[in-house]
This record gives sequence, structure tokens and C-alpha cells, in this order.
Amino acid sequence: MTTAHPAAPDMPALVPLHCLRHAEPGPPRLAALPTGTPVWVVTRHADVRRLLADPRFDRASLFSPDAPATTLVPNLLDDPQAMLNLDGEEHQRLRRTVQRAFTPRSIARWRPWVGSVVEDLLDGLEAAGSPADVVGAFSRSLPIAVISRLMGLDGLDHERLGRWSDHALSATAYTAEEIQQAMQEFGRFGQQLVDERRKDPGEDLVSSLVEAADRTEGVTEAQLVSLVCGLVVAGHETTMTSLGNALVYLLSDGADGWARIGGSEADAAAAAEQLLRAVPLGDQETAPGLLRRAVEDVEIGGVLIPAGSVVAADARTANHDPAVYPDGIPLFDPLDTPSLTFGAGPHHCLGAWLARMELELALHGLARRFPALRLVDAPDAIEWRRGLLTRSPLRLTVAW
Amino acid sequence: MSAGAGDGTAGGLEVRVDRIRCVGTGLCAAAAPADVLLGPDGRAVPRHARAEASERLTEAAEMCPTEALTVHLAATGELVAPLD
Ligand code: HEM
Ligand code: HEM
Ligand code: SF4
Repeated sequence: MTTAHPAAPDMPALVPLHCLRHAEPGPPRLAALPTGTPVWVVTRHADVRRLLADPRFDRASLFSPDAPATTLVPNLLDDPQAMLNLDGEEHQRLRRTVQRAFTPRSIARWRPWVGSVVEDLLDGLEAAGSPADVVGAFSRSLPIAVISRLMGLDGLDHERLGRWSDHALSATAYTAEEIQQAMQEFGRFGQQLVDERRKDPGEDLVSSLVEAADRTEGVTEAQLVSLVCGLVVAGHETTMTSLGNALVYLLSDGADGWARIGGSEADAAAAAEQLLRAVPLGDQETAPGLLRRAVEDVEIGGVLIPAGSVVAADARTANHDPAVYPDGIPLFDPLDTPSLTFGAGPHHCLGAWLARMELELALHGLARRFPALRLVDAPDAIEWRRGLLTRSPLRLTVAW
Repeated sequence: MSAGAGDGTAGGLEVRVDRIRCVGTGLCAAAAPADVLLGPDGRAVPRHARAEASERLTEAAEMCPTEALTVHLAATGELVAPLD
């Protein structure tokens, strides 16, 4: 997977993500992307929400020929056929072919099954004995196991999957040629999968996607393949990262909550929601938020954003907006206002309910099985896995 | 069960949007443009106080990723979509 970059000796150690300070939300302000391109950063909760739901800010024009550079190294998320990069009706058409499988009701049907995957992994952890690495044995494996089962990929070797997602989003570790080759391989895999399930459909998500897409006029084969590939990996890094960072918090500053999370699924669900809001996925080094481009002049938060500007929806700052949320992490309080962790508007995360359920069941299962779980090393000794967008513990040695 | 046409609920439905839960995906408005629109604040709003049963309206409720949009019998408040 992505290479870890241990802090150089003369650099201060990285703090856990729940310790990062957050900027004061305010009116949109001008900053620059690592490419030097100017970017308007939107930080208030209400403004971020409005920006993401406003069709005058789109994704496709970030990739038009006149667009300023937004990434130093192009990666798979820049595929113009990816659902995230389509807008308007074309986007809705594709999104509707998958949406049904990801509503809260549909996802709830997977609950017993996700619960049993959690229990299996916990059995493995327990059998390995204390101390153990909870990342390697648990938080890294869970999202892959879940999406593999959902999509009927049980035969796929996870190493290949890891290599593909690595190449797709690695900034520096590979040459452009290597990246291209891995992506072609991944694309062929996606096409094969689509062909296979079209011929011989099963109960899995890929089969139902192919069926829905084939019934929907205007969904292209390229979009379908990109979607299938996207689903294989979209939830994997993100879910692993939130689980790993949630554990760092709950086994250090948030240790008070551990017993209650193990005691009740409802409490675990509330905690998962608060942690998703309050603990960011990464350091926002590549971009200060979710990127969009203004297709016309738009006023937002009292500031006129000129047509053609690149805009970043800084969900992380908005998730700490004092106008909406109290200070700190009130672990068991319900969120009155939905957080912006999963975005908003047309691209609101497809996998939000699946991710929530995985996090909730993982935390509950772990705390119930190991009520005395503790970190072996101090939080400032954690080695971090640093991806393009995310940061999570590379290893987390725990004892019980 | 669905709020399909011809089941005696014509004109007797009420569309409700929980505007706090709504995340403004627009999926409902795309499914049932005659019944729902996205307001200027990016949240869904019912177009009319009363709605007629239709497959499109049922689909709008079934699509909503946060279950913010629900369809009820106007007379009793009974939930007719989304149902399991
Ligand atoms: C904690 C875990 C997750 C987080 C924090 C997360 C976050 C997000 C965010 C912020 C977006 C919107 C991006 C934007 O507007 O620019 C998004 C979109 C998306 N996510 Fe997730 N996600 C997570 C898990 C998942 C899972 C498990 C899946 C799939 C099974 C998934 C699939 C998608 C897809 C397909 C989109 C694009 C939707 C569209 O363009 O219509 N995500 N996610
Ligand atoms: C439907 C297409 C996809 C969507 C919507 C999607 C969405 C996302 C989102 C929202 C994030 C977190 C971004 C953030 O924290 O701001 C993310 C991270 C990531 N995604 Fe995807 N993704 C998609 C496809 C893919 C594909 C095809 C791959 C790999 C082959 C991939 C691999 C990853 C990885 C590795 C990360 C973490 C990046 C890092 O920190 O290294 N994703 N994705
Ligand atoms: S589908 Fe649901 S979340 Fe999306 S706009 Fe309609 S009511 Fe809001």
C-alpha cells in the first residue's frame, strides 16, 4: 500500500488527527493549491452546504481544457467518466442506477452479515493473542472484506486490489508509466467483471448495477466500468482511515467512552457519528477541501466568486463551526445537524450508510470483546501511513 | 406495498421533507419533478400541499439517501413511502 513516510528526525512528530486545531470559520478567503492555482476556501457550515448543493459550482469544468491545474500528479479520481466528475442530468442518471442499493433501508439488510465479518476478524485478533496490531488484523481488513462480499469478489486477491489503489492515488512512489499500466490492468478487471455478471448474474451488487444500467438509457459502458472500479476502492481507504483514527482517539484522550460503546449498539452509533464529524481523515495537504469550479459569478457567504474560480468546500472546518456544533467531542450526543463529512448535494457520499454501519459495528464489537483494550505505545510514537488525502496509523499495537 | 396509482389514495397524499436531514442531493426532484423541487437553499421542498400517488413519487421517497423525504396519507398521517 502507500509508502509510509516516518517523520524526519528534525521534524516535530505528527499529532493524532483528533488533536489538530481547526481554523475559525469565516467568509470565503483566497488561498492557493499546491499547484499554485488560486482557490476560494469556503469554511462556514451553512456556506459549505450551500456551495455543494448549488449547480453553479460543478465538477466537470475542473477537467475542461481551460481549467487551471488542481493536482500535481493526476490520479484515478481525475477520470472524467467517474461519477464524481459528472454533473447534472448525466450524473443523476448514473447515480440513480446505484442509489437504490445504498439507501439506509438497503444497507440495513447487510447488518447481520457485516456484524459476522466483524466477529470473524475479532476471533482472529483474539487468537493471535495480546499484544497485537489492530490495524493489520482488523481496521485494514474490514472494509475490503465488506465490499468484496457485497460485490461478489470473494476470489479476488487483496494484494492486487491494494496495488491498484496504491498506484491510482500515490503521489510519488511510482512512475507515470507504472501508474498507467496498473490503471489499465484495473480497468480490464472491471470490464471483465461487468461482462461476467452480465452473462451470469448473481445476487451481488455488480450484477444489480449492470442490470440497472442496461435498463437505463444513456449510461455508457465506460461509466459503468468506472463505477464498478470506483466502488471496489472508494470505500476502502476512507473507512480504514476513519476507523484507525477513531481508535487512536478512543484508546487515548477519549478512553472514558470505551465501556459505553461496548455496552450498547445505539451508543456506538452515536459515537461513530460524532467521530466521523470531529476527527478529520487527513491533513488536507493536497487541497483545502472538496473541489468545485464556479461556472458563473456566484455570491456565497457575502463574497462574490468570479466565474471560472476553483472553490474548495472545507468540510473539516465546517464540521467544527461553533455556530452549529458545541466544542469538543460529545461522544454520545446525537448530531442535530448532519455533519459534512460525507459532503452534501448531488455527490453526497453514496457509501455513507455503509461506512457508518461498518464503523459502528467495528467499534461496538471491539469494545465489547476487549473491554480493557489499551495502546501499548504513547500516541506521539505512532507511525503514520500518509496517503494522498488521508493519514492513519500504520500500526497500532494494543494489549488486553 | 407502494403508493401506486389506483389504490384509492389519489390526491390524498402529503409529501414531507425533514429539512434538517435533507442533504440536497436532488435525487427526489429528479425522480418526481412534478411533486418536489430543490429550493434556493439547496433543500427539497414539496411543490403542493397535496400530492397524487404515482410511481415517481414512491421512487423519490425510496431514493432519498437520508430518508428525509416521506410520503404520508394526508387524512391519517400513515407512512406510505418509503416502505421496506
Ligand atoms: C468514512 C468513509 C467515507 C467517507 C468519509 C467518504 C466521503 C465522501 C465524500 C466527502 C464524498 C463527496 C466528494 C465530493 O463531493 O467531492 C464521497 C463521494 C462518494 N463516495 Fe464516499 N466516503 C466514505 C465511504 C464510502 C464508501 C464505503 C463507498 C462505497 C461503497 C463510497 C463511495 C462513494 C462514491 C461512489 C462517491 C461519489 C458519489 C457521486 O459522485 O455521486 N464512499 N464520499
Ligand atoms: C467513484 C469513484 C471514487 C470516488 C467517488 C472516490 C472518493 C474518495 C473520497 C471522497 C476520498 C477521500 C477524500 C478526502 O479525504 O478528501 C477518497 C480517497 C481515496 N480513494 Fe477514492 N474514490 C473513487 C475512486 C477511487 C479509485 C478508482 C481508487 C483507486 C484505484 C481510489 C482510491 C482511493 C484512495 C487510495 C484514497 C485515499 C487517498 C490517500 O490518502 O492516499 N478511489 N476517495
Ligand atoms: S433525495 Fe432526500 S436528501 Fe436528496 S434532496 Fe431529496 S429530500 Fe433532500
